[in-house]
Amino acid sequence: MTSIPNELLKDPLFQLNAVLWLTQPLPGGSEITPLLYNQGFTVYAIAPLLGPPLDLRLAAQEAGISMQERVRPDAVLAHESDRKFAFTECKASSSVLTSSTAQARSLLVVAGPRAAEVLGLASGQVSASLLGLVIPESDREPVTQTLVSFSKELDENRLPAGRFSVLGFVLTDTDISIVINDLGSAFFALPAGANPFMKREPDTDPKPLYFIPYDPDVVQSEQEKVFCKRVLFERMHSTITAAIGRANPPAELALESQKILNDAMFGMYGHWENPGSAKHMRRLYREFMDALTQAVNAVVLGAMVFQPGEGWRISLQNEEQHERVIDTLTRFSCETLDLRIEPQPSLFDDLEDNGPVRGGV
Amino acid sequence: MTEIDLRQIQDRHQMIRFFDGYAIERMEELDERKLKRPLVKTHLLEILDGQEARTPQGLQAIFGRRGVRLQPLDEGLFLATDKQMGEIGFLERLRPRIVALYSTMKSDELGRWVRRLILRSPELDHVWLSGLTFGVLWGLVTQLSRPHRFTELVFTHDSIFDIDGLTTEPEEEEEISQDSGEEDLEEIIERRATRFRLVDRIGVIQEKLGELQKLYSPLYAISKLRFPSPVGRGGHDFYDNGRVTNRSESFRDHRSHLLFVVRIYEQLLKSTEEQAWYSIQESVGVPGQFRKIVGAPVVVRFQEPLSPAVFDQWIAATFERKRNRFRLWGHPVRLGPTKVHVYGVDRHLWQPLFLELTAKGCTAIIPNGTCGNTVHRLVTNIQRYLAPGAEAFIGNKPYQQMVEESARGVHYDLDTE
Repeated sequence: MTSIPNELLKDPLFQLNAVLWLTQPLPGGSEITPLLYNQGFTVYAIAPLLGPPLDLRLAAQEAGISMQERVRPDAVLAHESDRKFAFTECKASSSVLTSSTAQARSLLVVAGPRAAEVLGLASGQVSASLLGLVIPESDREPVTQTLVSFSKELDENRLPAGRFSVLGFVLTDTDISIVINDLGSAFFALPAGANPFMKREPDTDPKPLYFIPYDPDVVQSEQEKVFCKRVLFERMHSTITAAIGRANPPAELALESQKILNDAMFGMYGHWENPGSAKHMRRLYREFMDALTQAVNAVVLGAMVFQPGEGWRISLQNEEQHERVIDTLTRFSCETLDLRIEPQPSLFDDLEDNGPVRGGV
Repeated sequence: MTEIDLRQIQDRHQMIRFFDGYAIERMEELDERKLKRPLVKTHLLEILDGQEARTPQGLQAIFGRRGVRLQPLDEGLFLATDKQMGEIGFLERLRPRIVALYSTMKSDELGRWVRRLILRSPELDHVWLSGLTFGVLWGLVTQLSRPHRFTELVFTHDSIFDIDGLTTEPEEEEEISQDSGEEDLEEIIERRATRFRLVDRIGVIQEKLGELQKLYSPLYAISKLRFPSPVGRGGHDFYDNGRVTNRSESFRDHRSHLLFVVRIYEQLLKSTEEQAWYSIQESVGVPGQFRKIVGAPVVVRFQEPLSPAVFDQWIAATFERKRNRFRLWGHPVRLGPTKVHVYGVDRHLWQPLFLELTAKGCTAIIPNGTCGNTVHRLVTNIQRYLAPGAEAFIGNKPYQQMVEESARGVHYDLDTE
């Protein structure tokens, strides 16, 4: 399951997870050098929902400039003592940016001089802000041109745009670097140019452990999508196995999609207000649970059941049955599923988990 | 079961007096080289933090589910009786999350009983003292005892993944005692296997050990350490799996040493969990809207990279076997010849755990709520079976520094509780 390295650099989930690792505390000499953490930056917010100030939205409307009402930059990084904020967005290529001009303009505005207001902070709590656009280094030029033209357009219409810095990912035989321009260099206190942050080994996929394993709203290659789905399934499997392993029979557990998906996604599932994305995630959950139910019930008949409005429940009558269920659960592997198939709509899409909550996992 | 009727003992005071007298008799017998009864052993057990374990009734329920009756004698003190084996010993809650089981049963018999109890109980685990933790405790021994006192250290490293084929069947692994009877097996070992006992004066060992460890890394894998008794001869032998043997003439002194070490351990557990637990938290000041990732990865770095063959053996022996030394479960996602990701479970405590395993080390993400003991067991087992000179970090803080900080402010005095 090794990725094609140059394709990996375009993957927004790889980019996001790499950015998150850049802000984690790690010992010196690790495979990942947490360049941003070392300079004092940590994650202030993941995918926060932000809106440009109302007066600026009105001004944009009057000028006939399309802007999104609300945007979700992938992460906001902050240097708390210097009061600097970097609104970070990960993109596969320059074409993705040009196809979402309204989003790009909104990102420039929220990262601009009114950033404190956008974040709900006092003006003195933000000393500097910028938009950091993570993209493969090969797309730096077209992305820069696009953002320059958007900034110019906004400025001409008295819409204060933020500064931006393209954070280009580039690959060599030995490492992956982040290429930073002069503005980014001054903001992040890193040398301008290529800053290696992830070591590579021969014939080895450089991916780190993923904090956020899945996002139905991003464009990914088939290979990366399958990988991310596998990781999501592994994490759901781990959550369910742990919950059932801890149970003391006789016991009945509710395996609620909301809880399991949130655990598997580090709480990000509950964040998606896009109903289509949330539904997609529930379908993935159902796909996984259907397969798991089949495997478990083949060993302990009727142990796992799905009830519309309640979701999945597992019943463990005694120690012996508990052992057999755990044995089956731990032998089951999502590798037996065809991860390339998109989950299909079901009659139960809107019925699951809508019933009364009974103290689930 | 014990040869003595423990039911006669009604409270803590009587228990301590009984064990004090027992310890004096055993020391006299040891002097005559005629030990008639087993020494007093303590097994330190960690109880998974939770609502149930906090009350005496909860503790009784946890043990009761495994066929062990805890009869209350005094505040936090119980007589432990096994349904089949009869009286086992006394169980005392030393700290909110740590209990001590005192017993005069034979070492092997008691060890087997405790191991089986723990294997079947996701709420219980051994107290795991890694080689790195022992390194710090050894430093304390040198500060607390005079240099002319004798002490004993045992170093154990068994590179079990460094062989063509495992000689031990996986199902049998858990049944083999880690610290007894091994000399009888007399297997022909063709892998690096270090187990030796060092008995000398503290001053002498202190002078040489650091240099020796630099020359031969298995000497970092301390698996047993004796705290010399300040009130008489002998001392208290702490093992890496939380067993402690009283080889002194005072049970009070034994109990004081237990309290000293478990206070450090409990602090270590707390700081491990505070720092390592990953979760999404709301950013301060903007509740309900902004969330950020908090936590720190656990990083273990091997002194020398594993060979591809050893790496493969480690992964196969750990994730293809139900019972494995690391007590882990998961389906490895292969990312290279010597790199896998495992989004798995600590299958002893049934807690999620995400791992990156490579020839150079291991990185773990511990989701919020996972017991800190998972980390200490992982480090202990890595030092024992894979890389004795491994370094560990929680985030960018060295594990050893965390142990040192946990030991700061913990008093070393008698009869404190």
